[in-house]
Amino acid sequence: MARGFAGTTLRVDLPRGTIRRLPTDEALFRRWHGGRGVVAKICYDEVPRGADPLGPENVFIMTVSPMSGCLIPAGSKVEFGSVSPLTNGQGDSNMGGHLGPALKFAGYDLVIFTGISPKPVYLFIDDDVVELRDASSYWGMRSLDCEKRLKEDLGEDFEIATIGPAGENGVLFSCITHDFGRQAGRTGQGAVMGSKKLKAIAVRGSRSLHVHDQAGLTAYVTGIIKRTQKHPNMEPWQKYGTAFFIRWSNDNGVMPTRNFQTTYYEDADKIDGDQLIEKCLITHKACFGCWMNCGKYTKAVIPGKPEVHLEGPEYETGSLCGSNLGMKDINHVAYINWMLDNLGMDSMSGGGVTAFAMECFERGLITEKDLEGRSLQWGSVDDVEHFLDMVALRRGIGDWFAGGTKRAAEKIGRGSEKFAMQVKGQEMSGYDGRWAPGMLLSYMTADIGAHHNRSWTITVDMAEGRESVDGRAKIVVYLQHIRPLMDTWCICRLFWGELDITPEEIVESLNLITGWGVSPEECLRTSEMIWNLNRCHYLERNKADGRTFDYPPARSWEDKIPTGPGKGKGVSRKQVEQMLDEYYAARAWDAKGNPTRAVLEDLGLKDAADNLERIGLLGVPIPGGIPAVRGEKYKPKAF
Amino acid sequence: MVVFFRAGSELRHKLQPDVDFYTRRVETQAGKSVKDILRDIGLDPAFVAFIYVEGKVKNLDYVPTEGQSVTLQPPVSGG
Repeated sequence: MARGFAGTTLRVDLPRGTIRRLPTDEALFRRWHGGRGVVAKICYDEVPRGADPLGPENVFIMTVSPMSGCLIPAGSKVEFGSVSPLTNGQGDSNMGGHLGPALKFAGYDLVIFTGISPKPVYLFIDDDVVELRDASSYWGMRSLDCEKRLKEDLGEDFEIATIGPAGENGVLFSCITHDFGRQAGRTGQGAVMGSKKLKAIAVRGSRSLHVHDQAGLTAYVTGIIKRTQKHPNMEPWQKYGTAFFIRWSNDNGVMPTRNFQTTYYEDADKIDGDQLIEKCLITHKACFGCWMNCGKYTKAVIPGKPEVHLEGPEYETGSLCGSNLGMKDINHVAYINWMLDNLGMDSMSGGGVTAFAMECFERGLITEKDLEGRSLQWGSVDDVEHFLDMVALRRGIGDWFAGGTKRAAEKIGRGSEKFAMQVKGQEMSGYDGRWAPGMLLSYMTADIGAHHNRSWTITVDMAEGRESVDGRAKIVVYLQHIRPLMDTWCICRLFWGELDITPEEIVESLNLITGWGVSPEECLRTSEMIWNLNRCHYLERNKADGRTFDYPPARSWEDKIPTGPGKGKGVSRKQVEQMLDEYYAARAWDAKGNPTRAVLEDLGLKDAADNLERIGLLGVPIPGGIPAVRGEKYKPKAF
Repeated sequence: MVVFFRAGSELRHKLQPDVDFYTRRVETQAGKSVKDILRDIGLDPAFVAFIYVEGKVKNLDYVPTEGQSVTLQPPVSGG
């Protein structure tokens, strides 16, 4: 076994209540590296294409990478994955904190849950002791409350992941919560946990990890520490985290406001980073092995409501639950953040779904009668609190919104699909793409739906010109290869990506840990392989040409931005089509957005090509063959 | 008047440091805002999310004084 591994994989059979210990398959990790790569491969191989994501045939995976828990900075992430109930494709989501390293210290690289437990359980891991324990007394508890109770019951040194009522009730954008504020929020992994009657995971580990070159790694990390301590970005990061970008986003006309109706929020100064630090901050907070401490542990104080404590809101929640809901007080944004955390819903999708419902209410498509006699006005924290409770508990019309904006729009109809701000069922992140076309293309083509972290393109848009879409596709493809490597290695992109640590240096640390001797170019090919496998998986499950699924809602091209610095700006339908054409060409897919045999076989995915051919969705060969290099050159340059 | 701008990551490449790895020395006229000075040296202010001066966040309209060190913070992906 290569160094960097804990050595053991757990297969948890939930119906039988049994747990098998297997040696970790190094070949699996060597090819797919870990994290989302391993998730993609297992989901593709083990979940039948017709399986209900919330049924017994879906798997639920928790995994790390060889880099997790080692001496390197910010190797804190733990990756969760399954077929997503929100997107109906491969889904993955990760979170920082301390759970991933704890799993390695306990001796495990990978945990695969199968089936559905007959009763609520939680997985208990204390080094060699691994048990499914009865969770009946925890079932029904809210996420943060449940984590607190489990720590009281088991010990403060256990690392805990929980779901809340939303996950138990199958709300499709449910999250997993850990460390009182870290969430694996996207793709509805909490709903899959809930469907399996798995309320929580508790881990304590005490072992050491061994690396390939201890002296080399120590010298390497010492250098990183010295460099990053002097880095100009470090001090502002430590002080504000990402919350300060509310102001920048607003000043540059990309701020989602009142369900993406416009991109400039007139009250942004009431919810920005300064307000967070001044009114809400309790203390700064860091994940395992990180000295950036970008987490902000905060309180929300609202007269007439209990004072609540949470982590955040960071930029995404600050925008999607702030300007996008018309909130005018940072305490209100923080309170909504806390509600979503404790109910167990992704604060990004939660903000998007609530904003969509607010616009439906504004337009008379839903009424007070639908909302149990309550209103749903922009800026009303009380209205939002009531609405989110309806959603989490699936009361009345809350049941429609529990499926996310796409499914809610299908129920509501009457043109609401136009402003259901999602792609492939996943709600958009906190940037409006109408004046940032690369960002829009990123949302359109991301394997897990409209998520920013697969390819964050805003600054590229600014550099290349925000009115033009020319050449944007190749950059998006390149970023879709390099940025998700962070999720494959289970390291934090904020630390590694923002402090001048080069891709070559990161790969060097991987080699110092494992002794694999991989090159940056090989890592990028691995990332392209993962991307293509996920595309095949999506097509095989959804059984239509890929292009069908890659369109944003019509607001993105029909409505020009009405106010603010981006007034009058917007992309056209023609530009959307142009970007898709160029994107597919950059990936060596056909014009219908289907991967071709040539590119799949070049990446070692012959089986996937055969599977696509069987259902008539294999891309037609590209005249002249595929280019040797897809996207930008395989030369790492930036994140 | 001399002002020192500091920047890291992608913004560092746009700043073109000449003092050390992160720092560029800029000669400018007193009374100019950071936004104007950045334009003078060919750096689009849209790439700067905010500035950090003597431990405090300022916006780009801030007018630096002789010899001050101004850290330029790039936008980053949140969440």
